[in-house]
Amino acid sequence: MEKSEIKAKIRTILVAVLKHENFEMNDDLSAANVAGWDSLTHMVIITEIEKGFQIKFKLKELNKLNNLGNLVDLIQSKLS
Amino acid sequence: MLFNSLEFVLFFITFFVLYWFVFKRNVELQNGLILVASYFFMAWWDWHFLLILVISSIINFVLGIYIAKAEDNENRQRLLLWLGLIYGLGSLLFFKYCNFFIESFVGAFDAFGVHLNIHTLNIILPLGISFYTFRAMSYLMDIESGKTEPVKNVVVFFSYLSFFPSSLSGPIDKARDFVPQLVKPRVFDSAQAADGARQILWGLFKKVVIADNCSSIAGPIFEQHHLYPGSTLLLGAFLYTIEIYADFSGYSDMAVGIARLLGFNIMNNFRYPFFAQNIAEFWQKWHISLTAWMTEYVFTPLSFIFRTYGKTGTILAIIINFVLVGLWHGANWTFIVYGFLHGCYFIPLLLKGTVNANKPIAEGRIFPTFRELINVLATFLLVMFTLILFNSQSITQAFYYYKDLFSSSLFSSVLLPEGMRSIKLTLTLVFIVILFMIEWIGRKQLYAIANLGLNWYRPVRWGLYYILIFLIFYFSGNEQQFIYFQF
Repeated sequence: MEKSEIKAKIRTILVAVLKHENFEMNDDLSAANVAGWDSLTHMVIITEIEKGFQIKFKLKELNKLNNLGNLVDLIQSKLS
Repeated sequence: MLFNSLEFVLFFITFFVLYWFVFKRNVELQNGLILVASYFFMAWWDWHFLLILVISSIINFVLGIYIAKAEDNENRQRLLLWLGLIYGLGSLLFFKYCNFFIESFVGAFDAFGVHLNIHTLNIILPLGISFYTFRAMSYLMDIESGKTEPVKNVVVFFSYLSFFPSSLSGPIDKARDFVPQLVKPRVFDSAQAADGARQILWGLFKKVVIADNCSSIAGPIFEQHHLYPGSTLLLGAFLYTIEIYADFSGYSDMAVGIARLLGFNIMNNFRYPFFAQNIAEFWQKWHISLTAWMTEYVFTPLSFIFRTYGKTGTILAIIINFVLVGLWHGANWTFIVYGFLHGCYFIPLLLKGTVNANKPIAEGRIFPTFRELINVLATFLLVMFTLILFNSQSITQAFYYYKDLFSSSLFSSVLLPEGMRSIKLTLTLVFIVILFMIEWIGRKQLYAIANLGLNWYRPVRWGLYYILIFLIFYFSGNEQQFIYFQF
């Protein structure tokens, strides 16, 4: 899957969970700069991404993620 | 030594002069001085406590390096990490909870009429163990997950664990935030130092003027609660709530301020928790370093494991998380129930999805709206209610406190402890009002008086500082121990 496709799908999930669109899908986007994306909503987002892309994350992989760019790369590696 | 004691002042002045004027710009010497001073500080209490800290430091130092070396062998890494965690948790369990387990174990058998002849051990809790053990565990976990590199310099690592401003009661700084500051040379910055001094002043005010005064009234009320009507028990609970906030946040302000005087920026532990509009917001503003630690290392892994169970999974993770927060404070069922209640408080928020629904209080306005005020009061009451448990020796004692509180004597007049003049209560309440007024004005700052009066005519601003200093000295006679030293 192309990165832009992955990003678009992630965006849909974020909007659905966070109920707002106040963020830009830049590679350096991180949870800290998005209203409502905290430890409580984080796992909801992760679970929706797993369902949406039909993949499974390991906790260690999640711990290494710093921003959206890392997340997109990780998803892409799991899809190939 | 307590921060508000003559010994500490002398100790710190000596240290400050050596640090900035004798060893200036020499990182290794400054760090060496920090280590020596921190060990001296710990040994001043008891050299046994220092021994335990040193042993812990050696074990974690070695494990940190080997965990990083085992990068290609995930199983080996995990084994070494678990060795470190078991050591840390094990020592906490031993020193803090051994007697609790023995008593609960014996008690369970007693309930069946079987009397076991096991005696509790005479164990004294090493000072600061909860704090440096949590620092060490976060260090090892961060190395294993690749969030930080191991520290190869013994002085730097041992200083991280023993750093005297925060060794006794936190904040629990993470290695990845603190170690880079130890490694870099510190340059004296007069603005940072002045800011640090101001924060120390504010912390002292909260501790000596607010907390100690509240304690002198709330203490007797709790100790002899069966003598007092419900109205007074309510007052006691209120004063205790303010006391624990002023005591702990005051101490934390002093720790942060002292660190700033030395050129370090450590995390703030409180962010005006009583202006929170719901319990989730409260925990983002109260004892922040512990909450952040638990969120990263307990709640997140738990919510990951339970993620396929939706809201039920999240609720379970929150409850376990807060029971552990409660338990961290000590070996008593009161703390467990305290934590459990806080976990349960999240349930309505999680079910309704309103955890983050509130905008920051009074955003763009001077005063909160009526709705916001109700939220703040409700949150305060919820917290106050659990602090009765927190301050009780046993569930039974708490139960009687609640029973008498919620009785008809709630509406009778307040009865002050024997020999106490009502002026003391009046004065304490006035100070509390002033505290909250200053905190409200300064609620967007790192600490309440950070920006207060910076635009004023200088003598007026210094007049304010002198008033605070005068009050601190005036009330210094009633020296009370910091509450969080016992954790």
